[in-house]
Amino acid sequence: MINLTEILLVLVLLSVLLSLGASRLMALVKIMALQGIAVSIIPLLLKGHGNLGGSAIIFFQIMILIKGVLIPSLLFTAVKRVTIKREIEPFIGYHASILAGLFITLVSVFISNHIRISLPEGHALVLITAITTMASGFFLMMARSKAITQVIGYLMLENGIYLIGTALTKYSHILYVVEFGVLLDLLVGVMIMGIILHNINNAFDDVDTTLLGRLKD
Amino acid sequence: MIELIFVLPLITGLLPLVIPANLGRVLLLITALLHLQLTVMAWLGKLSPAFPHFFTLAPEGLLILSLTSFIFAWISLYAFSYMNETQISNKPIFNCCMLLFLGTMSMVTLSDHPIVLWIAIEATTLVSAPLIFVHRSKEALEATWKYILICSVGIALALLGCFFITLAMDIASTGGPLSFSYLNTIADSLDPLWLKAGFIFVVIGFGTKMGLAPMHTWLPDAHSQAPSPASALLSGALLNCAFLGIYKVHALMTIAGLGSFSGNVLIAFGLISMLVGAIFITHQPDYKRMLAYSSIKNMGIISFGVGIGGFALYGAFLHMIHHSLLKSSLFLSAGNILLGFGTKRVQRIGGVIRQLPKTFVSFFAGFVGIAGLPPFGMFLSEIIIIIGAFQNRRYLSITLFLFTLTLVFAGVGRVFMSMSFGDIVEEVKVREKPLRLLPPYALLLASALLCIWMPDFVYTTILNSIQMIGGTIHG
Repeated sequence: MINLTEILLVLVLLSVLLSLGASRLMALVKIMALQGIAVSIIPLLLKGHGNLGGSAIIFFQIMILIKGVLIPSLLFTAVKRVTIKREIEPFIGYHASILAGLFITLVSVFISNHIRISLPEGHALVLITAITTMASGFFLMMARSKAITQVIGYLMLENGIYLIGTALTKYSHILYVVEFGVLLDLLVGVMIMGIILHNINNAFDDVDTTLLGRLKD
Repeated sequence: MIELIFVLPLITGLLPLVIPANLGRVLLLITALLHLQLTVMAWLGKLSPAFPHFFTLAPEGLLILSLTSFIFAWISLYAFSYMNETQISNKPIFNCCMLLFLGTMSMVTLSDHPIVLWIAIEATTLVSAPLIFVHRSKEALEATWKYILICSVGIALALLGCFFITLAMDIASTGGPLSFSYLNTIADSLDPLWLKAGFIFVVIGFGTKMGLAPMHTWLPDAHSQAPSPASALLSGALLNCAFLGIYKVHALMTIAGLGSFSGNVLIAFGLISMLVGAIFITHQPDYKRMLAYSSIKNMGIISFGVGIGGFALYGAFLHMIHHSLLKSSLFLSAGNILLGFGTKRVQRIGGVIRQLPKTFVSFFAGFVGIAGLPPFGMFLSEIIIIIGAFQNRRYLSITLFLFTLTLVFAGVGRVFMSMSFGDIVEEVKVREKPLRLLPPYALLLASALLCIWMPDFVYTTILNSIQMIGGTIHG
């Protein structure tokens, strides 16, 4: 029998590597939409999360809508509006980034194996994926100079945190603890709106954060 | 209905969007006074929580709540006059965000549930970002972008920390409500490894918001670019709220028997912040940035004092109170100077004593205060922290602490002297107004008064906040 959860997890891992190598912003946004949907479906499939109540199912539906549709479409608008198609001068090159991504994956496997905790059945892979996603998100934020790519990096970081939450908790009493992580999307939304509405574009003629260097000591 | 304390500003915060801007100013003032009244009622014990699982009236929360409320009342009075004399692009948004900011900060002080606390701190980021962007310059945009991006990452990490703490509780498998007061009662059975991991992430996360170095990089930009009433609020109230988040987890750690670990982490962050603050204060060409770096340094002192514990913990709480009062007063005075001269460069400003004599008094008194001289309270709190550190035999830390104090005194002194007594470079454009002078005076007076005579109820509340983790006033 094909294990759907693991397929999804591998999909998330692949999306992480793809996003590290993607130079076109449109492609990056599509990858993020895919990752968002996969990340929000995974908790539904994990063992031990069975017997979900009606309210929980609606909650996960909302999650999919936010992570898979709403945020990517906002990003899509932003990319269109600011008329930049690709990241031209990343701080760290694409090949080096992919290599770094692979290295991060290795480290996460190492970390997951060394955390002595009795994870529920099938959660080991979740933890590896989660740590990889989170660390790669961090990496993307630091390695790219465009404001939009940094927001996408943040989004990935947040997906990772959400996955860690689902991997670690046993859902005894804290459904609706991990789920509050979705509020972070609010911040993402605000950041994207910031880019769209104003201004990093108009004020600097480009969404390049290297131009944001006026304030320093 | 203790929840009224934060629900009220959250509701009235939406009104400025639909009413004229001038009415919005009045609303700001009215809400501030009502909030102050509710806070006093909370002191008198007239309010009880409607959702006890989520909100409670912890002594440390009450202390920070009343500090926030008191400062906000004076700042709203200042803003009443300030808004008419400066270029604020969108006054309704300014009023709205000020009130929502007050509401979310009050929510932080009252929350007992880690996730509710986290949500409230996230909300403070969301509603205070527009305040920084009020002037709509390129610099303001940059400061806002940095603020949102850096604090968002911090908040995301703090959420991870909260997950770890709930995991520590899960492993102990005690099916109680997830709240700090319940966690404190079962602290012994919590899993120490995950608790430690949770603490580290919470310190890094909320520490970003509190301005602890090396996660402080947003703070000088945001504080210098925000309009002065907002800077005063950011520095005097928001940093305390983030501190509260760290303090609650530190208390949990101490009760769980991991106090020395969390204490050492806090001491390390505290020393780094003091050092970074002190280094950047010297030769700082922008006086609002200088005040911001001073905030970083003072947050370092608070974190240091809490980390040492015992007598120094009492000093840390005193320091928090006096820092809030003095720093918000200084930011308001700086606002008067900025209005008068229209520049933030120290070099362009001279002869404040002749041109703005009344502002000079509050500005200079504020300098005396943050330099740690009597009659203001920082004198007392710094001495108490030093004595507490001596009792713990942390001689190296004390040396570093005293070194940074000297450095700050020299750096701040140079700026204040040249601004106050230097040659007049530019003429004043906007004169002083009584409404903009009264608040900084009142805040200074409050600090001096609290230094000389501390009311019993404040004293017992501080004791109640520090007693559970072994804080004491008996050296």
